[in-house]
Amino acid sequence: MPADPNMKILVVDDMSTMRRIVKNILKQLGFNNLEEAENGQDALTKLKADTYGFVVSDWNMPVMMGIDMLRAIRADEKLKKIPVLMVTAEAQKENLMEAVQAGVSNYVVKPFTAETMQEKINKIFK
Amino acid sequence: MAQPQAAAKQQSAVNDDEQVEKAPDTKLYEELGELARFIDTTMKTLSEFSAPVNASTEQLPQAQTHLLNLKTQTEQGTHRVMLEVEAIQDNHAQISKMLKEMTQTLQQAKVSPALIQQMQTLGQTLGQDDKRLLDIMTALSFQDLVAQSVNKLVTILDEVEHKLLQLVVVFGPYQKQAAKTDQGKASEMLKQLEATKNTSMDQDLADEILKQFGFN
Repeated sequence: MPADPNMKILVVDDMSTMRRIVKNILKQLGFNNLEEAENGQDALTKLKADTYGFVVSDWNMPVMMGIDMLRAIRADEKLKKIPVLMVTAEAQKENLMEAVQAGVSNYVVKPFTAETMQEKINKIFK
Repeated sequence: MAQPQAAAKQQSAVNDDEQVEKAPDTKLYEELGELARFIDTTMKTLSEFSAPVNASTEQLPQAQTHLLNLKTQTEQGTHRVMLEVEAIQDNHAQISKMLKEMTQTLQQAKVSPALIQQMQTLGQTLGQDDKRLLDIMTALSFQDLVAQSVNKLVTILDEVEHKLLQLVVVFGPYQKQAAKTDQGKASEMLKQLEATKNTSMDQDLADEILKQFGFN
């Protein structure tokens, strides 16, 4: 099923520059319903309060790490089916394995290109 | 002549005995003197050494502040560039829309096909520039990587400062080696920074691993 351009997407990153970059790329890819959160805890609060179709998250954040947020999403009956794309500088094999085990939908290593993000989104929503 | 020789021999034997008795004392005095000189030299060295240690301890918070300023400056600079890029993107979107409308109008009016072709070429050029603008945006993600490295360095400096203060206050400079062998958070973060240089993945390797888990 192709990605719905109107679905609400949550961009989670503690760095304002990264949130802006990811939102810009998503906008150029045709997604306009974009929200943002500064950490995993903030994201979970927003995810529980509204209906989101997709989460793009960093790994290394204060308060709650992306990987812990991912586990919380997968453990929540209401949220567990939301696709989660990790976009992270945590580029060790162990990190990737941990994310896969936690139920990540796909994984993008920083620095990345718009093409890589598009390719990953296409794979998630194919 | 035999008598003086015998007396001389006797006197010589007495002197040897005295030397044998005095030798341990002389040696001890010499060793004590050497030890005193060593202690004096060491104390002088230590007094010279404590000043730079104290100075380093005072300079570390300044270094941390500089690093955090660096992070803020790169963040502000990046947002400034992004603002301009986004403004150009918005203008391009408007121009593209206008070009499409104008092309349609020209097609309906059946004007010169060459003119319509030129309009379409303009649209394509704009599209290529949009791609470049997006590349500029993604290239700015360097700031996030810089910020993460700066955060780690600040944490390391914080821990080093803490350890140096402990050395100065509690143990004195004798214990300088202890900081090198410490296995605390700073040491761990330094290892992480080193490890990132050698073992970090590129996207191709990440994709290979993802394939093994059925991500196609």
